[in-house]
Amino acid sequence: MFDAVLLFRDALYGTLVIALACSVLGVYVVLRRIVFVGAALAQLSSAGIALGLWLAGMGIAQGLTTHPIALSLAVTIVGVLFFGLGSGRARVPPDATLGVTYAVATAVGILLISKATTGEAHDIFLQGNILSITRFDTNVLMAVAVPVLAVHAIFYKEFLFMSFDRETARTLGFRVGAWNLFLYLTLGLVIAFAMQFAGVMLVFNFLVLPAVTGLLVSRSMGGTFLWSIVSALSAAVIGFSLSVPFDLPSGPAIIAVSGILALVAFLIRLAQRR
Amino acid sequence: MTALVSFNHATLGYGRRVVLSDLTFEIPEGDFLGIVGPNGAGKTTILRAILRTLKPLAGSVSHAPNLRYGYVPQRDQVDYNFPLKVVDVVMMGRYDRIGLGRRPGSKDRDLACAALEHVGILDLADQQLVALSGGQKQRTLIARALVGQPNVLILDEPTSGMDLVSMTQILGLVRELHERDGLTVLMVSHALNEVANYVERIALVTSGEVRVGAVDEIMSPSVLSEIYGIPVDVEAVNGHRIVVARRLGYHGDVAHDV
Repeated sequence: MFDAVLLFRDALYGTLVIALACSVLGVYVVLRRIVFVGAALAQLSSAGIALGLWLAGMGIAQGLTTHPIALSLAVTIVGVLFFGLGSGRARVPPDATLGVTYAVATAVGILLISKATTGEAHDIFLQGNILSITRFDTNVLMAVAVPVLAVHAIFYKEFLFMSFDRETARTLGFRVGAWNLFLYLTLGLVIAFAMQFAGVMLVFNFLVLPAVTGLLVSRSMGGTFLWSIVSALSAAVIGFSLSVPFDLPSGPAIIAVSGILALVAFLIRLAQRR
Repeated sequence: MTALVSFNHATLGYGRRVVLSDLTFEIPEGDFLGIVGPNGAGKTTILRAILRTLKPLAGSVSHAPNLRYGYVPQRDQVDYNFPLKVVDVVMMGRYDRIGLGRRPGSKDRDLACAALEHVGILDLADQQLVALSGGQKQRTLIARALVGQPNVLILDEPTSGMDLVSMTQILGLVRELHERDGLTVLMVSHALNEVANYVERIALVTSGEVRVGAVDEIMSPSVLSEIYGIPVDVEAVNGHRIVVARRLGYHGDVAHDV
């Protein structure tokens, strides 16, 4: 069983990097109740990938503009600016704006990919293809994840205050709008790169379920981050290890393990209350 | 008394929408001012101008140099889902002094504990914020405002949604902070009856105007009737003033006792 897993060890390392980065940012995503911003950004990112594949297939654009990562990043950054700077200025409720973005990005992505002629796998919108992650891909993911995690470690105090009570933070001179945008930018960056390999479903899973597990298990911010990371890495290792020998799709296997861990955490919390 | 904040013919609003116009009044050092008015009258707009998070559309709002505010937001503005201890929340009041990218140290924790002791809940320092009662949460937020050693304490609807006991205790604590520490206090509330018995001056915000004066001056039936546009009585019970609006008839005229 482990021999089979070792064959795909680069893919596992890449998945672990995605799990680590998403599980840290996911704590803010869940606590700030912007879970569907994460989903909408992931979907925008996938639409960007589809646009890159379509342009490459049609031969309309050349060079970097046809590269899925470049376009995915560009489209995600547009989404980050839209949500981060406050889409609530229009007379449409924020959740409706998210719904519109999610639906349109999904539809546009599917339409573009249906006409793409590059022969790329069409399941990137849901499952991704983490088994295709190479050592180079892992290094690219590390190059994004490490600086983002370093930024979050250094500016933890600022991100926490701005997320917990932005009005008071503003009165103490914190530039809340700028910090909010900065947080969204780190989120968009991680999502855009993770999406290339993990797909919407797995990225969304890593952004939400480990953080929920962490919040259920721990009663401190530090503990929540720790348990979120532990549960994301555990789900990635267990789900990946089971999927290879049993010929299961890796993404859904990891998500299923994440779900089980969240359920166990919920039952522990329930038992503690009694 | 030195004026800490001065409104000079200030017009306040958002974009093109004017909320309050031509405001001229001062908040002197050592003041205990209640900013009172119905919901939507513009109390929060004045608060934002004082806190420098809203620039006046016209006129000016000037602040004394090195003025530092301790802000206590409305309780529902804070997200209690965050797994934070009481002492961690209080330390946030020092975040701007700690410096960018730095973590709070033992000195910050000591100051946070001193602030908690000041408001009478030091024993709750290591409790989860979410586990506290409404009154305890409010004391935590007051301690957070105090830990930054402010010149002015500003409370936004501090008793909103509280029961009678908690409300009385919180207002008593705020009054004590003003009297014991000589702290300048601004308290925003929609409940005139609650605030009038604790503050020294009232800024009554109604219909786009602000009337500022001593409590005795504002709490007179003639002034309140004029401001609210309906007949109002001010009764005294055990030294406490209670504002009572006379019952109105079906067409808005005063109902007479039979």
